[in-house]
Amino acid sequence: MKHFSSFWKRYPLISRLFVLCAVILAYGWALQGLKVDLKLLKDSWPYVTDFILRLWPPNLEILDIAILRLIETIQMSLWGTTIGAILSLPIAVFSARNLAPGWLQLLANLLQNAVRSVPSIVLGLLFVAATGLGAPAGTLALGIYTIGYLGKFYQEAIESVDPRSIESLQVSGASWLQIAQYGILPQVLPLGLGYTLYMFEYNIRAASVLGVVGAGGIGFELVNYIRGFEYTKATTMMLVLLVVVTLIDALSSKLRQRLEAM
Amino acid sequence: MAIECENLETPYSASLRRPILNGISCKIKSGEFVALLGLNGAGKSTLLRAMVGLVPLQQGILRINGVAMTRNRASRREVGMLFQGGGLIRQLPAIENVLCGRLGMLPAWQTLWGFPKRDRRLAIDLLAQFGLKDQADQKTGQLSGGQQQRVAIARALIQNPQILLADEPITGLDIMAAKQVMDILSDLHSQKGMTIVVVLHDLSLASAYAERAIVLDAGRIVYDGACHNLQSQFTRSN
Repeated sequence: MKHFSSFWKRYPLISRLFVLCAVILAYGWALQGLKVDLKLLKDSWPYVTDFILRLWPPNLEILDIAILRLIETIQMSLWGTTIGAILSLPIAVFSARNLAPGWLQLLANLLQNAVRSVPSIVLGLLFVAATGLGAPAGTLALGIYTIGYLGKFYQEAIESVDPRSIESLQVSGASWLQIAQYGILPQVLPLGLGYTLYMFEYNIRAASVLGVVGAGGIGFELVNYIRGFEYTKATTMMLVLLVVVTLIDALSSKLRQRLEAM
Repeated sequence: MAIECENLETPYSASLRRPILNGISCKIKSGEFVALLGLNGAGKSTLLRAMVGLVPLQQGILRINGVAMTRNRASRREVGMLFQGGGLIRQLPAIENVLCGRLGMLPAWQTLWGFPKRDRRLAIDLLAQFGLKDQADQKTGQLSGGQQQRVAIARALIQNPQILLADEPITGLDIMAAKQVMDILSDLHSQKGMTIVVVLHDLSLASAYAERAIVLDAGRIVYDGACHNLQSQFTRSN
């Protein structure tokens, strides 16, 4: 092993060529798995352009419906992110290396991974089956989906806490609760709030996808218009979504910058 | 006797191929100013951390003011510690950091909504004593290195400790700030009779401020005595 690593260091050009060949091989292997038919791609181009042309111009008659559905999407994201954030906190604490014992970390990480491996659309289907069509199913799906990500983000924020600052509180005789309140929370809060804002913004897009399975929000109407060949109405829905996502993205970026500077 | 160490030994370290502390025995009297010296990895900081219960011991007994050191809250109250770089919470204002030194004396329910007014006045007085009254509400991360170390000293002092341990308190500070910190430690020793144990790398600083030097090498004490002529002692130990 030692000879192997010294060979790599001695001949950097050969090692770089080797890495390049390995990357090309990996991409080639992935491409052959896709079984891409270039002729079919070329022949389908007129259909793609036809579809795009039929989306234009947007039908503004349904603007009021689009705005109502968008408000519902934002409401779903707000509650879904909040439910997820609240449930993520204990899971993150239990999975943090610097706070929890090994066995608890293992269990909490397993739970996080299990939640993360379920796609949001599957969660949407599950909650539609449980609570029926509409926004409540989507909100619950978003809440559970959020745990998989915020749990991990919060865990990393907790693990990045300066260990000396925590030890200094231990030396002063602070209890576990006092260390959490005065040592961990102030250090984790700016980062954690930033991640939560990002997740809120992400969940607005995820909520749109959940509508496809009937879990409420703007996606529900969007899919109905596409299925009914009312493409110009679908365009209005997408444009309204684009404007709001861009606005929220700009706003949350500003807020995140402020939080990071704290 | 303020601190008594009897044959202290930490668990075996695979990277060092020995315990970090390998049979440390020493006694530090009340009111002494002791400098802990040694090369990197000698075990100075570990010894200091063991004195406040932050390092588990494989064997040996450590007594603070005659009472065996345990991991419980009460046994730590008599000892204040300054960490390298301060060990402060950068996001909290200076005054909150100082008040954190009181946490061990107050129940968790009482500190849930803040600190008593009496403690806040005490913290302001301490900050004023170190020339930081105007910075009391400033975020600690925005203060200079020297100011941060003074906030850390104020936090240690609000505990009203009899013993103050300092782990490389002047690392990363400019000459003026380093002198200011060392002068504060010296004043605490001479005016309040506080026992001071400080990890230093600078032999001349140790000679200038400390009464006694303990030199460590490979987890063992290789010199324990007066601070004069340290340079030759150090050369001999290597």
